[in-house]
Amino acid sequence: MQILRKTELRAFERAKALGPDKVLEELEKSGLLGRGGAGFPTARKWRMARDSAASEKFVICNADEGEPGTFKDRLIITKNPEIIIEGILIAAYTIDAKRCFIYLRGEYEYLREGLQAKIDEIKNITQTEISIEIVRGAGAYICGDETAILNSIQDMRGEPRIKPPYPVDKGLYDCPSCINNVETLANVPLIIEGGWEDKRLFSISGDVREPGVHELPVGITARELVEPCQPKERIKALFFGCAGGCIPYKEEMIISKDTVAEQGAMLGSCTIIAVGESRRIPDVCKNIQEFFVHESCGKCNPCREGNYAMLGLLDNISNNIGSDAPDDSISTVEELAGFIKKCSLCGLGQASSTHITTALQHFREEFTK
Amino acid sequence: MTMIKINGTGYETKAGETILETCLRNNIDVPYLCYHPDMQKQTRCRICIVEVNGKIQTSCNTLATDGMDILTDTEEIKKLRRMNMELMLAGKDFSSYKGTRFAEVAESVGVTTSRFGKNSNKKIDEDSPALIRDNNKCILCGRCVQKCQNVQTVNAIGFTNRGHATEVTPYFNRSLNDVACVQCGQCSLVCPTGAIKEQDNITGVMQAIADPEKIVLVQTAPSIRAAIGETQGMEPGSLVTKKMVSALRKLGFDRVLDTDFSADLTIVEEGTELISRIRNNGVLPMMTSCCPGWIKFMEHFYPDFMPNVSTCKSPQQMFGALVKTYYAEKNNMDPSKIVSVSVMPCTAKKFEIRRPEMRDSGYADVDHVLTTRELGDMVKSRGIDFQGLDEQDFDPLMGQSTGAAAIFGATGGVMEAALRTAADILEGKELESIEYQAVRGMDGIKEAEVEIAGMKLKVAVAHGLGNARKLFEHIRKNPAEYHFIEIMCCPGGCSGGGGQPIPTTNEIIKKRNEALYREDQGLPFRKSHKNPEIIRLYDEYIGSANSEKAHHLLHTGYSKKNQF
Ligand code: SF4
Ligand code: SF4
Ligand code: SF4
Ligand code: SF4
Ligand code: FES
Repeated sequence: MQILRKTELRAFERAKALGPDKVLEELEKSGLLGRGGAGFPTARKWRMARDSAASEKFVICNADEGEPGTFKDRLIITKNPEIIIEGILIAAYTIDAKRCFIYLRGEYEYLREGLQAKIDEIKNITQTEISIEIVRGAGAYICGDETAILNSIQDMRGEPRIKPPYPVDKGLYDCPSCINNVETLANVPLIIEGGWEDKRLFSISGDVREPGVHELPVGITARELVEPCQPKERIKALFFGCAGGCIPYKEEMIISKDTVAEQGAMLGSCTIIAVGESRRIPDVCKNIQEFFVHESCGKCNPCREGNYAMLGLLDNISNNIGSDAPDDSISTVEELAGFIKKCSLCGLGQASSTHITTALQHFREEFTK
Repeated sequence: MTMIKINGTGYETKAGETILETCLRNNIDVPYLCYHPDMQKQTRCRICIVEVNGKIQTSCNTLATDGMDILTDTEEIKKLRRMNMELMLAGKDFSSYKGTRFAEVAESVGVTTSRFGKNSNKKIDEDSPALIRDNNKCILCGRCVQKCQNVQTVNAIGFTNRGHATEVTPYFNRSLNDVACVQCGQCSLVCPTGAIKEQDNITGVMQAIADPEKIVLVQTAPSIRAAIGETQGMEPGSLVTKKMVSALRKLGFDRVLDTDFSADLTIVEEGTELISRIRNNGVLPMMTSCCPGWIKFMEHFYPDFMPNVSTCKSPQQMFGALVKTYYAEKNNMDPSKIVSVSVMPCTAKKFEIRRPEMRDSGYADVDHVLTTRELGDMVKSRGIDFQGLDEQDFDPLMGQSTGAAAIFGATGGVMEAALRTAADILEGKELESIEYQAVRGMDGIKEAEVEIAGMKLKVAVAHGLGNARKLFEHIRKNPAEYHFIEIMCCPGGCSGGGGQPIPTTNEIIKKRNEALYREDQGLPFRKSHKNPEIIRLYDEYIGSANSEKAHHLLHTGYSKKNQF
């Protein structure tokens, strides 16, 4: 895997030789997009942070991988922590930040020691004045939201902030803060050193015998994604984590951001849960819904109460499948799903009904028969 | 000039104004719940959505910027708001919201029932003598938390749990009575649902009035006369002293007396104490003690200032101590038959009457405290046409007062009143200039230097506990800077008290305070020590200010309390 290549601080050295402007140019040329889900151009984010005149700026590495079925960051943190640290140093150097944070998922606490040792080692070699602190995640999915991370690092309740202001303008302690996902930062040294290819890490799980992380170019078919993981049965649907919704599994369909979006779903951070044909989609949705009810931070009414009410409706539907009772609850589900998406405060709530709208789009008959 | 279009019509916006604010300023109705003009935007309720250039957005936090095209009332928006309201009402009982802002909003949105939720059955917290919390009504708008944490910096309440289990509770899930809550009721003042509200004392008062054996006396705090009109459909800033007296008689109180009388008494006692501290190298700066919210705050968080705080009781308690002694004696009343009621802008005073120190008359000095809101409810439920009432005067002996007492209700007022009296005493003559403009107004912390009898007195005034905290941190570092400090727990002073009519905003508080300064200007006496009834009280009963008898009835002490 390219992401496990050792760059041995050569990229950091080269970045310093190039100077910030050239680094930004190279990043721009590469076309690197954020790997967290939103897919924002990394170079543009960094440029905004660099252009800010503030005296204090921060770099934050988001290692709060909380999407069920996602474990790609863990792979990098375990197998190639150096490249993350190098990516952070390049980011700090480019935007002129002195303090950096790694916001490490609570469940990954056991990786902390190894990561810290690497930070110390690299600090020792480079003698850089840039500091990197590891902060333990609060153990809530919402803390993967950029602004909730800021609150959490500042010891406040893990609730998202209202945007704008965006973190690159006013982030941690109201200073410009550049927040990047682990995988994004790990790609940076590869780009700066050269010989980089635009590949993504897919976390694949579900009804397969060999779940795992695969590094694949963008634009391959669904079959090329799923086959190597040895499906246990015929696959019926692909769910893109909990938040990304689902599409019907069609072997020759090209899986890319755009093709998935055409089906109403979101590729996001490339988390794929393959669902076999023996499962009922409403049950899958109910499980996912339980996740959202559990993870809603509770700040805004649409997500807090809406998702709870939705779970009740799904529970009802999944218990009543097969009975002939006429069911107007499907239309209530649709109305509620649209409301939650349009009116929720943050990305979690806004995406929390995608699994239902896409399931109804592609597997509607399963909800009624 | 910046222009936006709302529902097809052009409107001018002001710099820094949000869409909601532009709408409200132009009388365009947009429902809102978590927004409050004086606090940080939270965007929790999401009921204020509008369409901005084709996109659904919350209007309370979105700045109105040039060229925006806004629709406030499309079919889609109405539908989304209805769904939102149904979810807010999930598991709730709509009839429990009677008369609240929430009920009004729900009705305007067109939803009073819900397809969702089972009836919630959370424990009601009713241990505090001042406030009652019923989370079965709470819609988690967060206003109370904002008020307690950001404005008052008390942090007695906050959010616990996540998702659907989220609740507002005092820390460690205790009762409000068992945490460092100052009972100021500022949370209840902003709560749109009544989930936090004052403890009901109406029932006790009505029972006393109905009991022929009892003599029910009522005192009214300075700020009530400038606020009670709002509960009866009058404009903020209406001064209704004499109609209020009429209304109280109509309600059946046997004597209608005035806390303003004892506010004057407080000034004479406190002014004398200040002069004696200055002359005898006592502990300075001296701090006012008339606000029980601030006293409790001090006991929890700044006990090191205990020696600085004046030993004077609050006007309510001075009044209470005299009613069952001096007043009973003069009127040949049996003190055990007297029921002493006060009408206060304040929930902390419901707590204050239960303090063990407050029984110096041999009885509970004050038996019941009604808030302005409660009195308003009583007037309404009796069907009294308040605006059409005749004008009546307070009963004598403890009903006369001066302009100095009237301004007690405004931040800076106690300071100004004290300076008026202290200056006269120290200079040994009657001074003409009595208005101290520097201590008036809504600035969080106000300072002034006044020269009296060749002495330079430095004074400071803070209102709202967040401001008080800032001032204390400053004094801790600069202990010798000031001579005299006035602290009022509630923003704006008692005019912004936790028991005042809802809504209360800084704009409204300003109008109430202006009314109090009008009252001051219209009264024949404007210095507390000139109040003829006060002079009589000293002559016939107390002797002199700070005398032994005064100390027994009119002064008190404090004790350190835990922070957690
Ligand atoms: S959408 Fe959900 S997670 Fe986001 S702020 Fe609202 S309640 Fe919290
Ligand atoms: S009464 Fe005052 S201190 Fe107590 S919770 Fe309410 S706002 Fe906070
Ligand atoms: S108690 Fe009242 S103010 Fe506080 S969150 Fe609940 S509804 Fe809002
Ligand atoms: S400022 Fe007035 S209303 Fe507020 S707590 Fe103090 S005495 Fe009560
Ligand atoms: S008033 Fe705007 S979100 Fe609550």
